[in-house]
Amino acid sequence: MATAIIDGLRERISSAISVSQSVGIILPGNNHSDLIQALFEYMYSKPEAAWVYVTIAKPYGSIVKQFGDMLADEGNIRFIDCVSRALGRYEIDSNCIFVESPVQLEKMLLEIMNIFKDLKGDVQKYLVIDSLSSLLLYNDVSLVAEFFTHLTNRAKLEDIHSISLSIEEEMEDNVNKILYLRSDKILKVRESFI
Amino acid sequence: MVEDGVYAYSKTHEEGKMEEEHMMGHEICKTGIDELDRKLDGGIPVGNAVLMVGSSGSGKTTLSMQFLVDGAKQGERGVFFTITEPLFKLTKNMENFDFYDKKLIESGMVNIIDLRIISDRLGLDTEKYTVEDASALLDVLKDIADELNVKRLVIDSITALCYRLQSNEMIRNFIFKLGASLASMGCTTILTSEVPPNEIKYSQYGIEEFIADGIICLGDIDRRGDIVRTLQIIKMRGVAHSRTKSAMSISSKNGIELIPLLKSGG
Repeated sequence: MATAIIDGLRERISSAISVSQSVGIILPGNNHSDLIQALFEYMYSKPEAAWVYVTIAKPYGSIVKQFGDMLADEGNIRFIDCVSRALGRYEIDSNCIFVESPVQLEKMLLEIMNIFKDLKGDVQKYLVIDSLSSLLLYNDVSLVAEFFTHLTNRAKLEDIHSISLSIEEEMEDNVNKILYLRSDKILKVRESFI
Repeated sequence: MVEDGVYAYSKTHEEGKMEEEHMMGHEICKTGIDELDRKLDGGIPVGNAVLMVGSSGSGKTTLSMQFLVDGAKQGERGVFFTITEPLFKLTKNMENFDFYDKKLIESGMVNIIDLRIISDRLGLDTEKYTVEDASALLDVLKDIADELNVKRLVIDSITALCYRLQSNEMIRNFIFKLGASLASMGCTTILTSEVPPNEIKYSQYGIEEFIADGIICLGDIDRRGDIVRTLQIIKMRGVAHSRTKSAMSISSKNGIELIPLLKSGG
């Protein structure tokens, strides 16, 4: 059952991102791990593309523990971890930039753009925000909405495809509206949706 | 404008002529910080004297040094006059930054000079300068800039220098003459100005900002206990500069970087 969900999620992500520049994914908390796995499997299937994965929901260290095998080979995925330093527990890793706190939104934006700026050649660029709703735990709603607007505008200008996750239980109406407004496509995840 | 009224100073013919020469023609001096140059509509007009205002730890010295180093990489010789920080400490701190290149110091493209040593050698009183002392120091600064054919100059900090000048008139005259002389040499100058944190002022003595051609303010805002550094251009003669406040990042890899500041909420 879990495999079917993950396969289904992967296909939906693949078809959505291939036609839409920005995709918003709204999911229940208990599907978060499945979605992350589907995402990483999709990223693994596109080694020629450059990925930036911004994690606010969980530390980079725990992602590596869970998906380390998939991440090791291609080196086309760079991480920005916004929580580990605030927790006081992180190990320096050349594949990950640790932003000091999830409140430093401008710094987050800067690091994202710097990674893409350093890319050489004509590479397809993808950005994952995991998750928009987690930012609400640390920041005011209006600030998160403004941040997301800035981010998606910059992504569109720089030809970056974005996938923004939002966990239902954490979401607020204002940010929900922004996610709907700023995304070309919205996917709503239910265990039985596929 | 001072506490007891408005004072009018007449310009000498010489001062007027120097100012006129400076304002004509605006070649641009790029700071090397991309977003800052964009906000300045290209860069600082050559010959401008810019007050770089901020409290302790706001990034004045780093930004000023990055300005000099970038100029040196483009073939423009620079001088950094330090009063507030000993030479060895300054260079040791700067070595943490990727933009800092020791070879530029060794080749003389960037010169770092401790103003206290110059003061000592001139036999000046370390606490208070007389008019003659100030004049002698001014001549030395001009001579150094002239002999080295300097195109970029930093004084860190003008506050510490002004502390030694005994009156507002001396401060005004010193900064005006320094700025005008350097401008006539095509030298663009940054004067760092120390202010207390979270106070809306551009200098300790309330004079410097009126003489300077530009004012760039480095500050910070509190966001849920975290400090977000900011930069804002308050004034820059000769360019249509941005007035928006930017968030500023200082990192060893990229030095000073600017990004639009998020304005909503806290």
